[in-house]
Amino acid sequence: MQIRIRCNCGETTCEEWGIVELQGVVEPQPGFHLSLQNLHIGTLCRPSSSPPQEVYTFTVGYHELTGSKVPLKKPMLVLKKIKQQQDDGEIEVELRVVGIIRNKILFKTRPKALISSKPPVLSLYFTFL
Amino acid sequence: METTQTASKGAEALLNLSPGSSISVAYHPVFGPHDDLVLLELDEKLLPDVLNERVVLRGQPDEDAVLCTPSKTYAMKFVGTSNSVLLVPPANQSESYQNPLENDGNHDDEKAVAPVIKLVPGYMELVEVAPRLDKLKSLLLQNPYRLEEYDVENFEENQESGSGLYNWNDLINNIQASDEELRSGLQTLSAVEINGYWRLVHESYMNMILEMLLRNSVLNDWPLDALNEDEVVSLLESDGFPGVLARHCLHVYGTKQDDSMHSSVWKLDKRRVCVHFAREILRGGKRKLENFMDEWRQKTPDEMEPTFDIVEGEVLTEKIGVETWVRAFSVSSLPSTPAERFSILFRERQKWEWKDLQPYIRDLNVPGLSAEGLLLKYTRRTQPSSDSEPVFSAR
Repeated sequence: MQIRIRCNCGETTCEEWGIVELQGVVEPQPGFHLSLQNLHIGTLCRPSSSPPQEVYTFTVGYHELTGSKVPLKKPMLVLKKIKQQQDDGEIEVELRVVGIIRNKILFKTRPKALISSKPPVLSLYFTFL
Repeated sequence: METTQTASKGAEALLNLSPGSSISVAYHPVFGPHDDLVLLELDEKLLPDVLNERVVLRGQPDEDAVLCTPSKTYAMKFVGTSNSVLLVPPANQSESYQNPLENDGNHDDEKAVAPVIKLVPGYMELVEVAPRLDKLKSLLLQNPYRLEEYDVENFEENQESGSGLYNWNDLINNIQASDEELRSGLQTLSAVEINGYWRLVHESYMNMILEMLLRNSVLNDWPLDALNEDEVVSLLESDGFPGVLARHCLHVYGTKQDDSMHSSVWKLDKRRVCVHFAREILRGGKRKLENFMDEWRQKTPDEMEPTFDIVEGEVLTEKIGVETWVRAFSVSSLPSTPAERFSILFRERQKWEWKDLQPYIRDLNVPGLSAEGLLLKYTRRTQPSSDSEPVFSAR
């Protein structure tokens, strides 16, 4: 059996996808589990006095993480499994390249607790592993 | 307007965030498990092959899939992560996943958003592996081409039943190897394409053709290092052999010299011809060394003068009393995965000297592992004294 890897984008126009990686688990508060769609997770901020190695902060609930943008050692392709019914009724599976990932924004430090006089309405919390 | 809207959404906005600005990271309107989206890590040098659609996954449902480029084979390993990996598609792709909440034209949506479509549990990693060619041999051995088949009736019967016959497409659907590796595997096995099917030719049939070719050479004073393809093939055809097999015989036992004018010129390869007759003699079982050598010299063409080093990796010798006996033990009949190969070798003999062992392992191909590494992994090396030969036994 063979599964072809198709690509509509060609070498020059393969679109870049993004990754935000954290060393913890983002969990919705009880009551939000069934309606995650469109829910705000956190705010990613690039401070103005960023050194060349791009620094970012990511605020999730009461926690703030500090991280940076790192290029991947090897690129990753985003593949989408597509099942197509052939004329003879057989199902043919192919993989389609839908994007490429070359960078990720990585947060690998312990989170810093934020003290706020006016706590935000919290829908998510963050656990550091 | 269109462009600024696009720029404020998706992976582009995330990756091109300018200093002093921020973006909201939110669950995508169609956030979910999306098991149909997988990540594949690969070397930069493999990208052109993938993006130009020269890559394919091969394997039967009961096998772990491998990824094949035109020339190499890679195992696919899943690498899991305990981190939270949030995957953000580019804006235009986000829109292709329908987004009911954004249809509202008056939506107060000036804030940039990076929508997370799924949490990624890990990615697939590629590890170069040797092609899995052992299966090729067992498939082709199901129905080798025999003398009887060159009888039209039989042939058509065989074609109709199609049992044990494989064309190129059948092979790439069954064998986990790249096209190039599969082609070279077919060549190593001396397979030939007959009427669209890849076949092994039964050894006794090959023997008949080769013997006839050598007899014709003697009768016609043809030099064995300059055989004219057209002459050889047309004479063999008149002897009753199919042309495709006559040509195959030249491919198996000879090397093509320069193409001269109209017809190709072939040189018979001493080693391949001698090995063929050694196998032929030992097919009946083991022989005393002297008898074997006598018969071998007699069967091979006079100008070839076989010497015992030619059958390295083809025969084993053993002392029984004062006599030395020879028997067939061909490296080509052994499995190509190192673990299985060494297991059979050490079942055959508990201890091997290097000079005996080397012909049986030199063809092993494990990407990333040297010959030294193979020995370390699969054998125990002992050296009774500093000036004696090392001996290898099972670990």
